Amino acid sequence: MKVNVLLGLVFFFITCLNTLNAACQANNQANVPIKISFINTINNIPVVLDSGNYTNCWNETFNINALKYYISNVQLQTAEKKIAAEKNSYHLINEEDSASKNFSFTASPGIYKTLSFLIGIDSLMNVSGAQTNALDPLNGMFWTWNSGYVMFKLEGYSAGSAVIKNKIEYHIGGFSGANSVLRRVELNIENSAVLLDKNSTTEIIVHTNLSKIWNAVHELKISKTPICTTPGILAAGIADNYSKAFEILKVIHP
Amino acid sequence: MLKIKIIISLLIIVVMASAFIYNEPPHKLTYLKLFIPRGWPRPTTNIFATNPLTEEGFVLGRKLFYDGRLSKDGNFPCSGCHQQFAAFSTYGHDFSHGFNNNLTKRNAPGLFNLAWQKEMHWDGGINHIEIQPLAPLTDLKEMAETLPRVLQKLKEDTAYVRLFKAAFKDGVINSQHMLKALAQFTGSIQSYNSRYDKVKRGEDNFTVSEKLGYKIFLDKCNSCHKEPLFTDNSFRNNGLIVNSKLPDSGRMSITGNLADLYKFKVPSLRNCSITIPYMHDGRMFSLSKVIDHYRKGIDTAQVTLDTLLKKRLIISEQERIDLLSFLYTLRDEDLLKDTRFAPPNYIQPAAKQEH
Repeated sequence: MKVNVLLGLVFFFITCLNTLNAACQANNQANVPIKISFINTINNIPVVLDSGNYTNCWNETFNINALKYYISNVQLQTAEKKIAAEKNSYHLINEEDSASKNFSFTASPGIYKTLSFLIGIDSLMNVSGAQTNALDPLNGMFWTWNSGYVMFKLEGYSAGSAVIKNKIEYHIGGFSGANSVLRRVELNIENSAVLLDKNSTTEIIVHTNLSKIWNAVHELKISKTPICTTPGILAAGIADNYSKAFEILKVIHP
Repeated sequence: MLKIKIIISLLIIVVMASAFIYNEPPHKLTYLKLFIPRGWPRPTTNIFATNPLTEEGFVLGRKLFYDGRLSKDGNFPCSGCHQQFAAFSTYGHDFSHGFNNNLTKRNAPGLFNLAWQKEMHWDGGINHIEIQPLAPLTDLKEMAETLPRVLQKLKEDTAYVRLFKAAFKDGVINSQHMLKALAQFTGSIQSYNSRYDKVKRGEDNFTVSEKLGYKIFLDKCNSCHKEPLFTDNSFRNNGLIVNSKLPDSGRMSITGNLADLYKFKVPSLRNCSITIPYMHDGRMFSLSKVIDHYRKGIDTAQVTLDTLLKKRLIISEQERIDLLSFLYTLRDEDLLKDTRFAPPNYIQPAAKQEH
């Protein structure tokens, strides 16, 4: 008899766990999908690696052969300051890999007014050892001699650059102190992102104008500073500049 | 009635059993614990907090540490520059040898008690033990390899496929697992059984000279090379004359701060009799020369010179000899000979028969 009671209790627990699990799943299902896409441009001309010719505000012509940056800690916020934060939110936007230029997550239903994210990887994750996926050092966005992620990378050529092969090389990183390059971008969503239907995906298209790298806050010229590959004042200045490059192009409601 | 009971019991058993059908067999790991010697501080960082130390991870890490395939041409395993008999430094080399007849830029430090180190490298540029191997592995003057190529080599080796499966639940061969396994091995290398330690534990006694040397050590050296780790993990400029042929700004190259110019990490003095030569560029080939440096070689004109060294240390000839005898007691034979840290499948040579 005792055995039966015990078995009965165990059975009861298993049933409870199953119910709980189902409830959790139901709760998850109630969340609404949202997709964030990135389109990189120079003065509204889409970036085409290796072939495009672009001009910055100083009339310096250049092309780009690599463009990668991290977007992390993505959040949506309603007018009432209710926040929907993406979990484990780390993305490497790589111009070469079109699949990397958008990502999706789910948020609780709501009418969202603000999209915000960090350009780069938060400082904690820079000191937490070996990571994987977007944060895998395999992606070539991790410094091996001075630990930390390269938050933003732009490489190319310009006749204005006097260094070897007329290179432009911006490897922007540094996560601590005055020269941290971490910048949080908050973008107002015009007409709101209405996330109510769990069966359809709303898409926010973020558009960059990367020519801002040379003049948004600080005036920088390729001819003077074609290379920046260490944390410091210059890197922080470039980060100030590119943080102004992001804006929302449109929101697509299905 | 009994029949009904039996039927109900059987039913319950079947239902319960079905819950386990879709579960994979449990992945068995043998958990290990880092030993914290009595009287030692807690480790500076809990290096195994997000990388649980297991026998399986340790064994994988040891194989990786001794595997030349982590380098481009197969000739430069981690153990090439970090030799157990030299307390995991490069014995007798100021600079270590690397790919394509290159020399490294700095002297290879010994590896032990790494859980008590905040930063790795002479300039402290590496902030976590797990990512340390990336530096030598990708440096063109050291192992000169790339991560994708190393992972490819590992994936093609069935022994590694098996070891990764044993060490990690999903068994995936990726950089994270490789680096975590290496950290389990290197983080386990500990040194706490030198004669000094035995004296401290009351298991042995110093000779008169060693005892005098210990007193001099406490008086002149312990403020930076602090017991029981024999380093305070700080970065200091100890007044080496700047080598114009090998400019090295030290800590400043990491922080960008002018106040850190020519500062290097204070190395542990444990096993110092076997980690020859000394200093970040290995310029001194004997401990006597090191003591001489602090007696009469300090470049006092340097702006960032450590305040404790503004006055040269006064150590007499006899004191120098006593200090040396003390320093020799810091050698830990257990570390140098522990087969657990030796290459995989290492067979200890049979002891010589005495006739």
